[in-house]
This record gives sequence, structure tokens and C-alpha cells, in this order.
Amino acid sequence: MVSKKDLNRIEEYLWEIPADYRSDMRVPARIYADNDLLEAALQDRSVEQLINTACLPGVVKYTLAMPDIHQGYGPPIGGVAAMSVKDGVVSPGAVGYDINCGVRLLRTNLEAERVKPLMAEIMDALYHGVPSGVGRGGDVRVSGKDMDDVLEQGAAWAVKKGYGTKEDLEHTEEQGALAGARASAVSRKAKDRGNDQLGTLGSGNHFIEVGEVVEVYDQEVAEKFGVFLGQLVVWIHSGSRGLGHQVCDDYIKRMQGSLSKYGIRLPDRELVCAPVDSPEGQDYMAAMACAANYAWANRQLLMHRVRTILDQVLAPHFKGRSFELIYDVAHNIAKIEEFTINGRTIKVVVHRKGATRSFGPGHPALPADYRSVGQPVLVPGDMGTASYLLVGTAEAADKSFASTCHGAGRVLSRHAAMKQVRGEELQQRLAKQGITIRGPMKGLAEEAPEAYKDIDRVVHVVHEAGLARKVAKMVPLGVMKG
Amino acid sequence: MTLNPIQPASRQRYEQLEHTADLALRIYGQDLRELFINAAFAMFSQLADIEHMATPISRQVAVEGIDYESLLVNWLNELLYLHDAKREIYAAFDIHELSPYQLKATVRGDRNQDIRSIIKGATYHGLAIVQTAEGYTATVVFDV
Repeated sequence: MVSKKDLNRIEEYLWEIPADYRSDMRVPARIYADNDLLEAALQDRSVEQLINTACLPGVVKYTLAMPDIHQGYGPPIGGVAAMSVKDGVVSPGAVGYDINCGVRLLRTNLEAERVKPLMAEIMDALYHGVPSGVGRGGDVRVSGKDMDDVLEQGAAWAVKKGYGTKEDLEHTEEQGALAGARASAVSRKAKDRGNDQLGTLGSGNHFIEVGEVVEVYDQEVAEKFGVFLGQLVVWIHSGSRGLGHQVCDDYIKRMQGSLSKYGIRLPDRELVCAPVDSPEGQDYMAAMACAANYAWANRQLLMHRVRTILDQVLAPHFKGRSFELIYDVAHNIAKIEEFTINGRTIKVVVHRKGATRSFGPGHPALPADYRSVGQPVLVPGDMGTASYLLVGTAEAADKSFASTCHGAGRVLSRHAAMKQVRGEELQQRLAKQGITIRGPMKGLAEEAPEAYKDIDRVVHVVHEAGLARKVAKMVPLGVMKG
Repeated sequence: MTLNPIQPASRQRYEQLEHTADLALRIYGQDLRELFINAAFAMFSQLADIEHMATPISRQVAVEGIDYESLLVNWLNELLYLHDAKREIYAAFDIHELSPYQLKATVRGDRNQDIRSIIKGATYHGLAIVQTAEGYTATVVFDV
């Protein structure tokens, strides 16, 4: 086990395990954390997983853990690793099974205080109207040419079909379609799994949350993002569903068979990978882009459904309701991006597994209306505490391959959470706090607030370390779990 | 690794281990065939109550691997695929052929009913099939 004495403190919130800690490390491993978060990370195998990731061929500079780091499989969750496109690898396990699991945040023109009396009605309507997809499919079916279009066009396919607006696409990372998607790289099995799951939420930690802005830290940026104190907002957290899981599985399987061909040795088989420029690597990148696009189409459909339901419930009470997308971010993905390292600009594949892109002001990838301030960074918390809207920084490019945290990060296993917490009790406890919960009782207990780290601390670390800056804090009023 | 049957000291099929974010199951089997069957049983036990389930639907499964570990991961993920794509849940597993490179089986189950949760995939993380005095054991981490 790695212990605190193996780490060098580089800055107040930055720790490093040097590359000579283990003979197979190619670069150092860095962790952004305060003392307590670091101690928590050292309790499970997450730091060892980060070190394993530092052994992958072509990894550059250092591997990184965000303060919400926790144990996963392959790399830790909250992990970032960048591999040189020229002589590095791409690793499906370093993206994860839920490709483009991500989150989107909607702003409304409504004051939360005035909507609070309707929360039970709103949450009932969402729970009955949004398919979770557990045990049954959704009502949008795609196959054949339509499926290929979803995979290659992403959220734009949904907008073309009438589920949203072009403004939604402008406010989505990559405009909701990752370049390089090739539907022929996605197996029939993956497409089979995807044909009735578009517009479904999924289970586990996926959710829809209706919240209220309770604190604004940066008025100027908040105004750019259309956010104000007391505002009603909506969060949607979902991913690429069974299609993405199958793409990950297909390519892990294929790459297990090609490891020896490329002479790659690994400390953990789940880190299986292939050179970026190999047929296996190129096909994975094309298929992963398809799964990412499926996820963006999925969240676009979910949002469309949520907007329709909210509008129906609120119509008798409020005139002129608006539900606009602030932004949509991916937090399980691999992207080709350019960074300057030691004065040289190089292309890398940045693997973000439970980490969010954090582009600073002026970045050309940002929509025109946000470009002067930076990218909205969305950090959802657990169902009982808070969530944050942050903004990307220029310095994150140097420090963390333009990456920051993605959530609170688990401390308790789902198993332990279920042993400690009963769903019904949790629902009652949250109701006393003014939070209306809908969802299967077992799933509720797994996602209890005590299963997560203190999101205020996680966000404090990334803010102080310069990986993103605080803009606004939001608290839940109603949560629907899948 | 061989297929020699070994007398079991314990008939426990699996146990759940602590894992911060995902699901870790330690699987037991008196031989490899039983290990593979118990792994599938353990996985579907997480998704639904399969102990007393009717099994009117039958499917043939064939998977390939490069060793027993990859075969185990591929077997579990093939069953997850069938579960997700066909909306079925499986409770009975009959393995006809098992070598490091190939597994053939008949699985029986029913249409999805009262599904508790989703498993995204069975992973290779820390996976090793280990021979013990009682037979075989393997710890499988699932993304949930």
C-alpha cells in the first residue's frame, strides 16, 4: 500500500509520487487533495491504480488524480492520463464502460421559492414520465440507418428530429458530436443494446435533479451563464447506456488479444490498450466517439422529455416559462487535444475517467457567448448536499491537461451504504430537509449522502489549486433516481 | 490450470467484498466449471431474486478467450449482453464445454422482471483464478 511518506507535497493542494517509486512507472503520479481527502484516497486502492496508469506506454508528463478520486478498476475514478498520439496508447478501461457518462445543467427563468410548493407534483411527473430503462426500454426506437446517424451525429440527430434547438448544440461539449465517429466500428451487439435505450436514464448514480441556486461567487461569470441567486435549475446525469458498455467490452476483448503483438506489458489487465495509430486503437477511437455521440443524443432526448414535463406541470402556475441548456459536459471520455509541454506543442489522447474538461477563457472550442469567461464546469454532488457550477481556467491547461473534478467521489461502497442506510428512512430524512425524492428504495440507499465525500471540500481544492473557479452553488429540491 | 474436480470444504457459491465505487464478488467453485457457473449465478443474483425463478427461456452461449481469466470475463459479459439486449434474466447455467479458449453453455431464464439494478460490465481488474485447497476462487470487479 502507498502511504503518505511516499508522497512529496508540491503545493498546498498538490502531492506527487515520483516516477522512481516503482520501476515500471514512466512518469510521476500527482494527486490534488487536502490532507483529509488524501488520507481518504490512501484508504483504498485508488492511488495504486493511479500509479498503474503511470506505467502505460506513451504517457506524458504525469498521471493525475482529482480530489474526488476513488477506487475504480483500471485507473481510479477521478483519474486523468494523457498519452502521446505519436507513440502512445489508448485504453478503453481508462475511459470506462459508461462512455460519455456526463451531466447537463438547465437554467430556468423561475424563482425556486415560488416552485417549491409544486415539488411533489413535479417529481411524480418526472418519475412517471422519464423511463429509467431498468428492466424496460424507452419509447424512442432506432435501428439501421437511424442508428448509424445517431452514432455519427450525436445530439444533432436528436435536434434534427425535433428534440431540442440548435442553441442546445452550441451549449454542449463538442456540440454534442465527437469527431471521428464511424458507425461501422460499432458491433451489431452494441447497436442491439442501444436500439430501445435512447432517452432512458439508467440506474446507479444517474439522476434528474431540480435545484435552487443558493450562492453566487462570481457575479460576472454567473450572468454570462444566465444564472442568478434563487433560480430554479435542473441537472441531468446519464451516459451511453448498454451501447457504450458493449463498445468498451468489445474493445477490451479485442485488445487483450493484440497486447503481445505490440509487446505491451501491463500491471493490471483492465488497463489493456493499443497504440493510438494501430488498427485496434483507431477503431476504438471511432467506436468510442460513436458511443459518446449516443450519450449526447440520449441526454438531449432526456432533456427534451424533462422540459416537456416541467412545462406541463408549471403551465397553470407561471407564464412564459423557459428551460435553456447552460452546458453539457462529458466526464468519462478520451479526447485528442493539444498541449504545450516543455515548450513543444504535442497532440495527446487525454483520458478523463471521472474528470471534467476545464477550458479557460478564449478557448476556440467554447461557444461564442461563453468564450470570454471560460467553459462551464458542472460538478453534481450527492442527493442531500450541494452541486456546483464552476468555470474553466487557463492555468488548468498546464496543470491538469485542462481537467478538473467531476463530483463528490464515493467514500462508502454501495454495499456498506445499503447496510447503513434504509431507503425509506433516507427518503423521510431528506423530506425533512425539504428534498423530494423519487426512485427505487434500494437504489436510494446506495446513493445516500453519507456514501460520498464532502463536495464543498472537493470544490474548494480545485478552486484553490486553479483547476476551475467557483461560480455558483446549488442545492437539491427534488431528485429522481433511475 | 486443470479441470480436476476437488472435494469442496464449503458450498458457499460467492460472497460480496467491499469496493468503494463498484461491485466486487469473490466466487468459489469446486472445479472450474462450477466456478464459472457460480460466477454467473452471483452476477444475476445482484440484478434480481433468481433463487426461485421459473426458467422457460433457453439460450445457447459460446464464448472464446485467450486464457481462463479472459474466458470468465467474456462469459459474464456475454450474459450481460443477452440480459440487456433480450431483456431476460438467467438463473440456470449448464456448461457443456470448457477449455482455456472456449466455453459452450446453455443458459435458462425468463423475461426481465423486477430488476433491481444494472451491471455495466465485468472487468479484468485484479482478476486471477486461483487454485485453493477447496477448489478454485476468483474475485471479479463489476462496473455498476
